[in-house]
Amino acid sequence: MTMDIRFIRRHRDSLMLVIAGFLLYVVLGAVLGGRFFSVVNFQSMAIQMSVLGLLSLAMSLAMLSGGIDLSIVSIAAVASIAGAYVMSGSLIPLSDGDDVLVTAIGIIVIVIVGVLCGAVNGVLVAWFSVPPILVTLATMIFFSGIALAVTNGNSVAVQASSLSALSTATLAGIPVAFIILVIAFALVAFVLRRRKLGRRIYLVGESVTSARFSGVRTDVVKFWVYTVSGLLSGIAAVLMLASQNAAREGFGESYQLQAILVAVLAGFDPDGGKGRAWNVLLAVIVLQSLQSAFSIFGYSPFAKTFVWGAMLLIVMVLNYYLGSGRMIVRRKTPQHQ
Amino acid sequence: MFSRLFHRRATSMEKYLVIVVIAYIALVGIKNPLFFSLETVFDTVRSGSTMILFGLGLLVVLICGGIDVSFTAIAAAGGYLAVKILLASGIDNILLACAIAGLSGCLMGLVNAVLVHKYKLHALIVTLGTQSVFYGGMALVLGTKSYSAAEMPKSMASFGSANIVSFAADDGSSYGLTVFFPIAVVIGVLTWFILYRWRLGREIFAVGSDADAASRIGINVGLVRGFVYGYAGLLAGITGVIYFSNLRFVNPTGLVGSELFVLAAVVIGGATLTGGEGTILGTILGVTVVQLFQNTLVFLGLSASFNNFFFGTVLLVTLATMYLRKRRANRENLVFGNA
Repeated sequence: MTMDIRFIRRHRDSLMLVIAGFLLYVVLGAVLGGRFFSVVNFQSMAIQMSVLGLLSLAMSLAMLSGGIDLSIVSIAAVASIAGAYVMSGSLIPLSDGDDVLVTAIGIIVIVIVGVLCGAVNGVLVAWFSVPPILVTLATMIFFSGIALAVTNGNSVAVQASSLSALSTATLAGIPVAFIILVIAFALVAFVLRRRKLGRRIYLVGESVTSARFSGVRTDVVKFWVYTVSGLLSGIAAVLMLASQNAAREGFGESYQLQAILVAVLAGFDPDGGKGRAWNVLLAVIVLQSLQSAFSIFGYSPFAKTFVWGAMLLIVMVLNYYLGSGRMIVRRKTPQHQ
Repeated sequence: MFSRLFHRRATSMEKYLVIVVIAYIALVGIKNPLFFSLETVFDTVRSGSTMILFGLGLLVVLICGGIDVSFTAIAAAGGYLAVKILLASGIDNILLACAIAGLSGCLMGLVNAVLVHKYKLHALIVTLGTQSVFYGGMALVLGTKSYSAAEMPKSMASFGSANIVSFAADDGSSYGLTVFFPIAVVIGVLTWFILYRWRLGREIFAVGSDADAASRIGINVGLVRGFVYGYAGLLAGITGVIYFSNLRFVNPTGLVGSELFVLAAVVIGGATLTGGEGTILGTILGVTVVQLFQNTLVFLGLSASFNNFFFGTVLLVTLATMYLRKRRANRENLVFGNA
């Protein structure tokens, strides 16, 4: 009996997400039926989910270490624009033969730009001790500034045709984008639970000072958190570019709030030290299903904005009331009231 | 001279920003002498007046150790509500508009305060949430129809074009110092009084420095937080009316999205996110820097696309130097809070 209670307590967030997701699917199945439960809908959902999922994972990692990353969408924008330039044929002339090669170079460029942008965040957080909110606020403006200055606000179209195949490709009926997402989650979850770096991220999030006095190089840990966050944003940029076939500054801005919402839904504490990677995937599935249902219902974007904001607040207030039942009582007082 | 005028030494951020502003003005002036005109000054004041009002509200919240990114949504919702009520009731009065917007803004600010204080939630995430709720709620309840200068309340349109002094330009058009300037000055002085001359202001600094300690010496932390978020909401609501009047076009979707620039301006003005620090002069200088970069790059022959790039660069350099110095000081004093 006590084992069961312990299990429920330890996996409270996962269980709640599974139950919420299950109820949501029952309701959506009853109301929408075939319009929701169709292969086409699930495949389009899987692609949108991959972008949101990767960005949410990036946000969750930053929150796990006690920070936040406001620059994920800007990183994705600047990275996808860099990639779109490579694949637009203006830098490297395109011919039928090297289409795949140019696409590959483009993807590598996107990922490298993402990592470099994340590393800029990481250096400023780790070795300049600038608070993460301010670093990522500044780099958000800076990266989107680069994107805007380079493109002058216009969109850059991809001419190489291989990339768009990525968004439609499936492996045994499962979209490749979704498989990439699951692999990314598996790797992050493995590092977080089984590797030294992962455990240290939890420690740094719980208390930087104690981590420092336990001999953890907290600056190195923080640097990797933001670099990996940039890497994940870069991969999200690849998928975003694949589905849109063009890149533009300001695209995907709504992901910012949604990524925070997903992280909070998944049980990540904005003050750090708490949360499991797989819960992020569950939360993304719940949120994206709701999002897709809203689209089928034809709700306005404002209604969505309202619902996301309200959900964020309600979940946090509920967490406050449920907090007393937690196994690990938080002793730390929040830094930013 | 400075210490005589303000009865205190200039903070290092203020000195730094003054140098940045002067250097930038000198650079632009050398490149393009047209920059040195009263018209440029008046234009900058006009476009900066909404940001300075937002900034003052945000400054008070930051000093109290909180953060608020919902004020643009509050301004849009409060201002738009005022426009709707004025149009529906037929009472065309700018004071009524400000009262409606200010009051509704204050209420929305109090919602923030309750969420932050009662439930002990992270202020940034709460206000990101309330931003969406206020903005989305406004769009759902009131709609997002925009009104042109002819359709909007007459009092607001004339308020927007009112000048306290005006001159005729060479080409026959006239320009002048907007009426928003004295309003911004009055609110600046009011904020200064609240922060430095009232007991409440000292309590705001105390709560920002250490909420627990403030509570133990008998300060009602909840009340102080209620005041700062309410005050920020009040200013935001009034700013919404000013914003619509200034543009002479009521577009409720135009304002949300600029909040992070205001935050950046206040932060480079020397306010910290940990609370207890920040000056009004610093905020004014921070807003000036942002406004200069947003509006005067054309004088250097650069398109508006470069605004964010240059401002982002300045922001990064400023933050890096500011916090590197703090980090070194912390090392010396054996403070490991953010080691």
